[in-house]
Amino acid sequence: MGEPVLTRREALKAIAVAGIASAVAAPGADAQGFLATLAPEEPVDRTMQRLFGSRPILDGASVINLELPLIAEDGGNVAVSVEVKSPMTPQSYVKAIYILSDKNPRPLNAKFNLTPACGQAHIATSLRLADTGDVRAVAEMQDGALLMVKRSVRVVVAGCAA
Amino acid sequence: MSALGEVRIRVPGSIARGSVARARALVIHPNERVERKDGKWVDRKYRFVNRVVVSYAGRDIAEFDTSTSIGENPSFGFAFRATEPGPLKVTFFDTHGGRFEGAAEVKLA
Repeated sequence: MGEPVLTRREALKAIAVAGIASAVAAPGADAQGFLATLAPEEPVDRTMQRLFGSRPILDGASVINLELPLIAEDGGNVAVSVEVKSPMTPQSYVKAIYILSDKNPRPLNAKFNLTPACGQAHIATSLRLADTGDVRAVAEMQDGALLMVKRSVRVVVAGCAA
Repeated sequence: MSALGEVRIRVPGSIARGSVARARALVIHPNERVERKDGKWVDRKYRFVNRVVVSYAGRDIAEFDTSTSIGENPSFGFAFRATEPGPLKVTFFDTHGGRFEGAAEVKLA
Protein backbone atom coordinates (compact mmCIF):
# COMPACT_ATOMS: atom_id res chain seq x y z
CA MET A 1 0.00 0.00 0.00
CA GLY A 2 2.80 2.39 -0.84
CA GLU A 3 0.71 4.28 -3.39
CA PRO A 4 -0.81 7.52 -2.13
CA VAL A 5 -4.56 7.07 -1.86
CA LEU A 6 -6.73 9.94 -3.00
CA THR A 7 -8.80 11.09 -0.06
CA ARG A 8 -12.43 11.98 -0.55
CA ARG A 9 -11.63 15.63 0.08
CA GLU A 10 -8.87 15.70 -2.54
CA ALA A 11 -11.08 13.91 -5.00
CA LEU A 12 -13.89 16.41 -4.50
CA LYS A 13 -11.44 19.29 -4.89
CA ALA A 14 -10.13 17.80 -8.15
CA ILE A 15 -13.67 17.40 -9.45
CA ALA A 16 -14.52 20.99 -8.46
CA VAL A 17 -11.44 22.32 -10.26
CA ALA A 18 -12.23 20.25 -13.34
CA GLY A 19 -15.79 21.53 -13.18
CA ILE A 20 -14.64 25.14 -13.12
CA ALA A 21 -12.18 24.51 -15.95
CA SER A 22 -14.80 22.96 -18.19
CA ALA A 23 -17.29 25.69 -17.28
CA VAL A 24 -14.76 28.26 -18.47
CA ALA A 25 -14.07 26.30 -21.65
CA ALA A 26 -17.72 25.78 -22.59
CA PRO A 27 -19.98 28.04 -20.57
CA GLY A 28 -23.11 27.12 -22.50
CA ALA A 29 -23.29 23.37 -22.61
CA ASP A 30 -22.00 22.64 -19.15
CA ALA A 31 -24.05 25.16 -17.24
CA GLN A 32 -27.29 23.81 -18.69
CA GLY A 33 -29.87 22.94 -16.10
CA PHE A 34 -28.73 25.39 -13.41
CA LEU A 35 -31.06 28.19 -12.34
CA ALA A 36 -29.00 30.81 -14.17
CA THR A 37 -29.70 29.14 -17.50
CA LEU A 38 -33.45 28.78 -16.92
CA ALA A 39 -35.90 31.46 -17.83
CA PRO A 40 -36.04 34.03 -15.02
CA GLU A 41 -38.72 33.86 -12.36
CA GLU A 42 -41.01 36.72 -13.30
CA PRO A 43 -44.62 37.80 -13.79
CA VAL A 44 -46.17 36.83 -17.12
CA ASP A 45 -46.30 40.47 -18.28
CA ARG A 46 -42.53 40.68 -18.06
CA THR A 47 -42.14 37.45 -20.02
CA MET A 48 -44.45 38.81 -22.72
CA GLN A 49 -42.40 42.02 -22.80
CA ARG A 50 -39.15 40.06 -23.01
CA LEU A 51 -40.42 37.88 -25.85
CA PHE A 52 -42.41 40.33 -27.90
CA GLY A 53 -41.32 43.81 -26.79
CA SER A 54 -43.87 46.40 -27.79
CA ARG A 55 -45.06 44.56 -30.89
CA PRO A 56 -48.86 44.63 -31.18
CA ILE A 57 -50.59 41.38 -30.27
CA LEU A 58 -53.93 40.80 -31.98
CA ASP A 59 -56.87 38.81 -30.71
CA GLY A 60 -56.49 35.35 -32.22
CA ALA A 61 -59.89 33.95 -31.21
CA SER A 62 -60.98 33.46 -34.83
CA VAL A 63 -57.86 31.56 -35.94
CA ILE A 64 -56.42 29.84 -32.85
CA ASN A 65 -58.08 26.86 -31.26
CA LEU A 66 -56.62 26.33 -27.77
CA GLU A 67 -57.83 23.18 -26.09
CA LEU A 68 -57.41 22.72 -22.36
CA PRO A 69 -59.50 21.12 -19.64
CA LEU A 70 -61.70 23.52 -17.64
CA ILE A 71 -60.63 21.77 -14.46
CA ALA A 72 -57.25 20.08 -14.13
CA GLU A 73 -57.31 17.47 -11.37
CA ASP A 74 -53.53 17.12 -11.54
CA GLY A 75 -51.58 20.28 -12.29
CA GLY A 76 -48.53 18.16 -13.02
CA ASN A 77 -50.01 16.82 -16.21
CA VAL A 78 -52.46 19.04 -18.09
CA ALA A 79 -53.09 18.17 -21.72
CA VAL A 80 -52.99 21.15 -24.07
CA SER A 81 -53.35 21.35 -27.82
CA VAL A 82 -53.20 24.30 -30.16
CA GLU A 83 -54.26 24.57 -33.75
CA VAL A 84 -53.84 27.72 -35.77
CA LYS A 85 -55.69 28.11 -39.05
CA SER A 86 -53.00 28.71 -41.62
CA PRO A 87 -52.31 27.51 -45.17
CA MET A 88 -48.73 26.63 -44.07
CA THR A 89 -47.27 27.61 -47.43
CA PRO A 90 -43.88 29.34 -47.74
CA GLN A 91 -45.80 32.59 -48.34
CA SER A 92 -48.01 32.27 -45.28
CA TYR A 93 -47.30 30.06 -42.31
CA VAL A 94 -47.10 29.98 -38.55
CA LYS A 95 -43.44 30.34 -37.59
CA ALA A 96 -43.86 29.65 -33.88
CA ILE A 97 -46.41 28.81 -31.22
CA TYR A 98 -45.66 29.89 -27.65
CA ILE A 99 -47.45 28.47 -24.64
CA LEU A 100 -47.39 30.54 -21.45
CA SER A 101 -48.96 29.91 -18.07
CA ASP A 102 -49.74 33.10 -16.18
CA LYS A 103 -49.35 31.60 -12.71
CA ASN A 104 -46.15 29.63 -13.26
CA PRO A 105 -43.01 31.21 -11.73
CA ARG A 106 -41.37 30.88 -15.16
CA PRO A 107 -44.34 31.54 -17.41
CA LEU A 108 -42.97 30.39 -20.79
CA ASN A 109 -43.70 26.66 -20.96
CA ALA A 110 -42.52 26.00 -24.47
CA LYS A 111 -41.88 27.52 -27.88
CA PHE A 112 -42.69 25.40 -30.91
CA ASN A 113 -40.84 26.41 -34.07
CA LEU A 114 -42.68 25.22 -37.17
CA THR A 115 -42.10 25.21 -40.93
CA PRO A 116 -44.39 24.92 -43.97
CA ALA A 117 -43.45 21.20 -44.13
CA CYS A 118 -45.63 20.69 -41.05
CA GLY A 119 -48.68 21.15 -43.26
CA GLN A 120 -50.75 22.21 -40.29
CA ALA A 121 -49.99 24.52 -37.37
CA HIS A 122 -50.89 21.98 -34.73
CA ILE A 123 -49.05 21.09 -31.54
CA ALA A 124 -49.94 19.18 -28.39
CA THR A 125 -48.19 18.42 -25.12
CA SER A 126 -48.81 18.20 -21.38
CA LEU A 127 -48.08 21.07 -19.01
CA ARG A 128 -47.27 21.58 -15.36
CA LEU A 129 -49.48 24.31 -13.96
CA ALA A 130 -48.60 25.87 -10.62
CA ASP A 131 -52.02 27.36 -9.91
CA THR A 132 -55.46 28.24 -11.23
CA GLY A 133 -55.13 30.89 -13.91
CA ASP A 134 -54.88 31.66 -17.59
CA VAL A 135 -52.91 29.68 -20.12
CA ARG A 136 -52.05 31.59 -23.29
CA ALA A 137 -51.14 30.51 -26.77
CA VAL A 138 -49.34 33.04 -28.95
CA ALA A 139 -48.92 32.39 -32.67
CA GLU A 140 -46.14 34.18 -34.52
CA MET A 141 -46.70 34.35 -38.27
CA GLN A 142 -43.92 34.25 -40.86
CA ASP A 143 -44.17 38.06 -41.25
CA GLY A 144 -43.83 38.59 -37.49
CA ALA A 145 -47.52 39.29 -36.78
CA LEU A 146 -48.64 38.04 -33.36
CA LEU A 147 -51.99 36.55 -32.37
CA MET A 148 -53.04 35.40 -28.93
CA VAL A 149 -55.80 33.52 -27.12
CA LYS A 150 -56.20 32.73 -23.41
CA ARG A 151 -58.14 30.11 -21.50
CA SER A 152 -58.58 29.81 -17.76
CA VAL A 153 -57.82 26.48 -16.13
CA ARG A 154 -58.83 25.58 -12.58
CA VAL A 155 -56.01 23.59 -11.00
CA VAL A 156 -57.06 21.27 -8.16
CA VAL A 157 -53.64 19.88 -7.16
CA ALA A 158 -50.76 22.18 -8.11
CA GLY A 159 -48.08 20.93 -10.49
CA CYS A 160 -45.59 22.57 -8.13
CA ALA A 161 -42.97 25.12 -8.99
CA ALA A 162 -42.64 24.33 -12.65
CA MET B 1 -40.77 -0.12 -15.97
CA SER B 2 -39.45 1.74 -18.92
CA ALA B 3 -35.91 2.96 -19.19
CA LEU B 4 -35.01 6.63 -19.19
CA GLY B 5 -34.56 7.80 -22.74
CA GLU B 6 -36.88 5.32 -24.39
CA VAL B 7 -38.66 7.10 -27.24
CA ARG B 8 -42.04 6.10 -28.65
CA ILE B 9 -43.50 7.57 -31.82
CA ARG B 10 -47.02 7.05 -33.09
CA VAL B 11 -47.95 7.71 -36.71
CA PRO B 12 -51.07 6.65 -38.60
CA GLY B 13 -50.60 3.24 -40.23
CA SER B 14 -51.38 4.43 -43.72
CA ILE B 15 -51.40 7.98 -44.99
CA ALA B 16 -52.57 9.33 -48.35
CA ARG B 17 -49.73 10.93 -50.30
CA GLY B 18 -49.74 14.70 -49.90
CA SER B 19 -52.17 14.72 -46.99
CA VAL B 20 -51.41 16.14 -43.57
CA ALA B 21 -50.94 13.57 -40.81
CA ARG B 22 -50.55 13.92 -37.08
CA ALA B 23 -47.97 12.14 -35.01
CA ARG B 24 -47.13 11.95 -31.34
CA ALA B 25 -43.73 11.36 -29.76
CA LEU B 26 -42.96 10.54 -26.14
CA VAL B 27 -39.75 10.09 -24.19
CA ILE B 28 -39.46 8.33 -20.83
CA HIS B 29 -37.80 11.07 -18.80
CA PRO B 30 -38.26 12.63 -15.34
CA ASN B 31 -38.20 16.17 -16.80
CA GLU B 32 -37.30 17.46 -13.33
CA ARG B 33 -39.13 20.44 -11.96
CA VAL B 34 -37.34 23.25 -10.14
CA GLU B 35 -37.47 22.69 -6.40
CA ARG B 36 -37.99 25.13 -3.61
CA LYS B 37 -36.66 24.64 -0.11
CA ASP B 38 -37.54 27.00 2.76
CA GLY B 39 -38.99 29.41 0.22
CA LYS B 40 -35.79 29.53 -1.83
CA TRP B 41 -35.05 27.97 -5.19
CA VAL B 42 -32.58 25.14 -4.99
CA ASP B 43 -29.78 25.74 -7.49
CA ARG B 44 -28.53 22.51 -8.99
CA LYS B 45 -28.16 20.99 -12.42
CA TYR B 46 -31.76 20.03 -13.11
CA ARG B 47 -32.31 17.34 -15.66
CA PHE B 48 -35.00 18.25 -18.15
CA VAL B 49 -35.63 18.11 -21.88
CA ASN B 50 -34.84 21.52 -23.35
CA ARG B 51 -34.88 20.84 -27.08
CA VAL B 52 -36.76 18.54 -29.40
CA VAL B 53 -36.04 18.22 -33.12
CA VAL B 54 -38.46 16.62 -35.58
CA SER B 55 -37.18 15.48 -38.94
CA TYR B 56 -39.03 13.83 -41.79
CA ALA B 57 -37.38 12.12 -44.75
CA GLY B 58 -34.04 13.64 -43.75
CA ARG B 59 -35.17 17.24 -43.34
CA ASP B 60 -35.82 19.07 -40.07
CA ILE B 61 -39.43 20.23 -40.09
CA ALA B 62 -39.93 21.46 -36.52
CA GLU B 63 -37.96 22.27 -33.39
CA PHE B 64 -39.33 22.80 -29.89
CA ASP B 65 -37.71 24.76 -27.05
CA THR B 66 -39.04 23.20 -23.89
CA SER B 67 -38.74 23.71 -20.14
CA THR B 68 -39.33 22.30 -16.67
CA SER B 69 -43.02 23.18 -17.01
CA ILE B 70 -43.66 20.31 -19.36
CA GLY B 71 -44.89 17.23 -17.51
CA GLU B 72 -42.96 14.09 -16.67
CA ASN B 73 -42.38 11.77 -19.67
CA PRO B 74 -42.75 14.67 -22.12
CA SER B 75 -44.95 13.97 -25.09
CA PHE B 76 -45.47 16.17 -28.12
CA GLY B 77 -48.04 16.06 -30.87
CA PHE B 78 -47.43 17.71 -34.23
CA ALA B 79 -48.41 17.54 -37.88
CA PHE B 80 -46.45 16.87 -41.04
CA ARG B 81 -47.27 16.86 -44.74
CA ALA B 82 -46.74 13.31 -46.00
CA THR B 83 -45.08 13.96 -49.33
CA GLU B 84 -42.93 10.82 -49.52
CA PRO B 85 -42.24 7.59 -47.67
CA GLY B 86 -39.42 7.85 -45.19
CA PRO B 87 -38.52 7.98 -41.54
CA LEU B 88 -40.14 10.42 -39.15
CA LYS B 89 -37.45 11.01 -36.56
CA VAL B 90 -37.76 12.78 -33.22
CA THR B 91 -34.70 13.61 -31.11
CA PHE B 92 -34.95 14.81 -27.52
CA PHE B 93 -32.02 16.65 -25.91
CA ASP B 94 -31.74 17.17 -22.16
CA THR B 95 -29.68 19.43 -19.90
CA HIS B 96 -27.38 16.57 -18.85
CA GLY B 97 -26.16 16.00 -22.39
CA GLY B 98 -28.68 13.24 -23.04
CA ARG B 99 -29.74 12.65 -26.64
CA PHE B 100 -32.67 10.32 -27.18
CA GLU B 101 -33.83 9.45 -30.64
CA GLY B 102 -36.74 7.50 -32.05
CA ALA B 103 -38.03 6.94 -35.55
CA ALA B 104 -41.17 5.65 -37.23
CA GLU B 105 -41.52 4.72 -40.88
CA VAL B 106 -44.09 6.76 -42.81
CA LYS B 107 -45.95 4.51 -45.25
CA LEU B 108 -48.04 6.10 -47.95
CA ALA B 109 -51.25 4.57 -49.25
